[in-house]
Amino acid sequence: MTRSSGADAPYWQGLADGKLLFPRCTGCDRWMWPAGHRCGSCGAVGVTWTERAMTAAIFSWTRTWHRFALTESLDLPFTSIVAEVDDCGIRLLGRLDDPDRIDPVIGEPLTGRIGTTVIRTGVGTDPIPTIIWSRLA
Amino acid sequence: MTHPLYGTTAIAGVGLRQYKRGAAPLPERSVLVEAVLAACADAGFDPAEIDGFVSYGDDHNEPVRLMPELGIRELRWSSAVWGGGGGGIAGAFGVAASAILTGQATAVVIFRALVEGSSGRLSAAVMAHHLTDHLLAAGVVSPAQVCAIRATRLFDHHGVPRDIVEDLVRASYYHGNRNPEAVSFGQDFDIESLRRSRMIAEPFRLFDCSRENDGAGALLMVAADRARDLAKPPVYLLGCAQGAEAGWGDLLENDAADLYATAGFRPVAKRLYADTGLTPADIDVVQLYENFDAQGVMSLIDHGFCSHESAADVIRFDNLIADGGKLPVNTSGGNLAQGFIHGIGLPIEAVRQLRGESANPVAGARTCLLAGGPGSPTVSSAIFANRFD
Ligand SMILES: [Zn+2]
Repeated sequence: MTRSSGADAPYWQGLADGKLLFPRCTGCDRWMWPAGHRCGSCGAVGVTWTERAMTAAIFSWTRTWHRFALTESLDLPFTSIVAEVDDCGIRLLGRLDDPDRIDPVIGEPLTGRIGTTVIRTGVGTDPIPTIIWSRLA
Repeated sequence: MTHPLYGTTAIAGVGLRQYKRGAAPLPERSVLVEAVLAACADAGFDPAEIDGFVSYGDDHNEPVRLMPELGIRELRWSSAVWGGGGGGIAGAFGVAASAILTGQATAVVIFRALVEGSSGRLSAAVMAHHLTDHLLAAGVVSPAQVCAIRATRLFDHHGVPRDIVEDLVRASYYHGNRNPEAVSFGQDFDIESLRRSRMIAEPFRLFDCSRENDGAGALLMVAADRARDLAKPPVYLLGCAQGAEAGWGDLLENDAADLYATAGFRPVAKRLYADTGLTPADIDVVQLYENFDAQGVMSLIDHGFCSHESAADVIRFDNLIADGGKLPVNTSGGNLAQGFIHGIGLPIEAVRQLRGESANPVAGARTCLLAGGPGSPTVSSAIFANRFD
């Protein structure tokens, strides 16, 4: 499955277009993440892709020091977070700007910008669009 | 009414072959054949009579390929529990028992084999189940990082003291030090070696993580009455549960907030205790799958041995060791200190402990809980006993 063929394809296309889009059930307005096509709560089929601001709060985090395969494009250490996006409660995995290695605090407010993470494999490179989060000053 | 699984099947024999990672003297299938033969020898059972196999965690050895070397006459059952991690390990015993109790097989081997030269790194195989572009883009590509993020939440949000993982690690090495089959046999463990080991993904240092070995383990299960006629005293399966509840699973970190920093066992433990009529107070020994020490702590909490608040009182070195502890955990050394062949050493230690064969015997032990791989989307647990009412 590729980014253009999965149920979350509009999410990836949204990032490519500079927008954060999430699926919302057409029947009960519930946010549906991971993306799917049927709402298990109300049984409705179909979603509306809805834009949300790139603001969030830290839900949890880790700072990686070991060079795992597929992370070669990221300088060590790098900080990965789970960010809870405002006004929908959806949690996203992302990266945090952390130049001074200050331990994140759960609940800390964040603002995001769209960047890329480049994955290098034996068959080439793949720049994946992603949100890079920063702590509010 | 007594649950159909309660005491109706038993483990009759166990076999374990363990080597340093990358150092197995034989190919993976041959190591597995040796472990199965060892389990049959232990039970005094003719391997030709094996008619079923169950595994978990994407074992590469399709059972039909084992038939020629084991001399098996007819294979009647082969299956596996879903999931790439160790979550299904205990569930494999329930599947095997189901086959026996429904007459679809009579002698079933539960097994796991892992030889790096044949199957590659376990961590990469587990992760292949879950890797998506969401994870890749965040630089989260390993079980260690996935579990580290959950551990941070356990410590920082739920207030469980970070240093209790050290008690679990120390207890594991205490047992491993006394177990001739353990990678840590004869080694005095200094907690400073954990504190000084290199950082992998905060909060995990190297010694917070189970490190892979080559090898294979096999356990022979038969009906309880048949087990009583074999060489070793039966170790009965009293109950087994697997699964997940709504709000838990492969949800891109969107698990229900109150489940996020658990190991996923709440519904499984609840069913297991209900089906067996037992409570945490009835468990004499625990074999606890700990891919990472913090996940072991979550698993103990999920299984009702303590709460976030009481964790620091219960998860204490003195309380976790076989010599006088009320909650002896991983009496072989466990995945951390005995060796890590995707957890298969844990049920083998459960059997040895209940037979009185453990290197770290728990006096008078009657029951042993096997808690499967914590944090997996599908998890499972089982209870074994050497006698029952
Ligand atoms: Zn709905």
